[in-house]
Amino acid sequence: MIKTYEDQMHQLGRIFGTIVLVAIFLVPIIICTVYNIYPPIKNLVIGIGMVCMIYVPVTVAEFLTYTPLLGTGGSYLVFTTGNLTNLKIPCAVTCMDNAGAKPGSEEGEVFSTLAIAASSIVTTVIIFIGMLAIIPLQPILSLPVLQPAFQNILPALFGALSAYWIQKQWKLAIVPILFVAVLFNLVPVLLDYAGALIPVMGLISILSARIMYKTKFITSFND
Amino acid sequence: MKAYMEIANSSLLYLLAGAVILFVLLQSVLFMRLAWKRGVAIGIDPAQMKAAIKSSAVFSIVPSIPIVISLIAIAPILGTPFSWLRLSIIGSNSYELIAAGMGAKSMGVESLGGEGYTAQVLGNSMLIMSIGVVWGLLCCILFLKKYQHRMTTIKQSDSTWSEILVNALFFGMLSVFLGDPLVKGGLALYVLISSAVLMMGMTYIGKKTKISWINDFALALSMIGGMVFAVVYTGLI
Repeated sequence: MIKTYEDQMHQLGRIFGTIVLVAIFLVPIIICTVYNIYPPIKNLVIGIGMVCMIYVPVTVAEFLTYTPLLGTGGSYLVFTTGNLTNLKIPCAVTCMDNAGAKPGSEEGEVFSTLAIAASSIVTTVIIFIGMLAIIPLQPILSLPVLQPAFQNILPALFGALSAYWIQKQWKLAIVPILFVAVLFNLVPVLLDYAGALIPVMGLISILSARIMYKTKFITSFND
Repeated sequence: MKAYMEIANSSLLYLLAGAVILFVLLQSVLFMRLAWKRGVAIGIDPAQMKAAIKSSAVFSIVPSIPIVISLIAIAPILGTPFSWLRLSIIGSNSYELIAAGMGAKSMGVESLGGEGYTAQVLGNSMLIMSIGVVWGLLCCILFLKKYQHRMTTIKQSDSTWSEILVNALFFGMLSVFLGDPLVKGGLALYVLISSAVLMMGMTYIGKKTKISWINDFALALSMIGGMVFAVVYTGLI
């Protein structure tokens, strides 16, 4: 049987993913062994419990939400290299759209992987330069006048991204955005748990889309 | 300098971190090559793929700068090499500090790098940060193939709906990031609006003039425009 491109990507993604997974654990294990600084098992288990309680549900939800957008190669890469919402997903979605390729299609798969790989390489290089130049860079990047720019990078990114997509598919956008705005107004404490809210909003968005699709308010992808 | 810093900044840790980062970098390069070959095989114009890589790379520069700022903030607490590793691969700057803090708390230490933050607490922080971050990757290794198979089934039964479904997921994510500045208002909201206006302007010009690079760089330029606006606006008040 001839192996398809997807199968090949799954196989490579699994091999690389497993190696990275092991390597991630090996780093602290080697350091703890060499310097003999293993924490008491009881404290370690408590800590693991704390971190998993919060991050297991969040990452499982991220997995369910983002992988249909990103395709096979892109998904393996993105969950190895990180920075999903602030970098890779806007990058991949914009790249596919500019190329006229739909997420989930063969072309979408190619452009998504290209975008995420390029983005990962650039980020890795910039962080490396940042680390080498940490001493000269520190005073520049901590200049008070520049702080508003860095503190507002997410509104700047999502303002532009949303403007584009709302113009394109306002019917799909309207329900989740209104819902979030009302929800945050009524329960402001949720603002601190925005990450956990993403899958919930994904579901609400799908439900509203389903209703609009069934009632023929939306009839195609470009509506 | 605190005693644990000798371990946190040891050359062994630099070596280990460097090796993992290099490996992940190689994976990106390999996947890019494979996607490129695949693109050629299914008849995509190489010039179009080149443009996609270029615009993605350029877009990624600015959102990478806050990661460097996080590195500057985290390195004095957890040492440079481990911070470098954690920020270069899976995770995000907010995650790293929270997880490291949990590592300290579970050892009965209140603050990161503060009183009582010994080498052993560092060990605990490092182990816990590593265990907390791997779940997404683990999900991919174990379930991605099955999950995609399911998505393909939806696609085969109703391809229009599957396209709408994927877009609806994306709008779910967008709405959360829009909700924050929309409700809080203030500078974040003004930045949001200004970059939105810039983006609409640029896509309009891109459509009218049919100059393709405008579309390729509209997102990066609008984002930078919004950030510049934040600096100017803060300077004015």
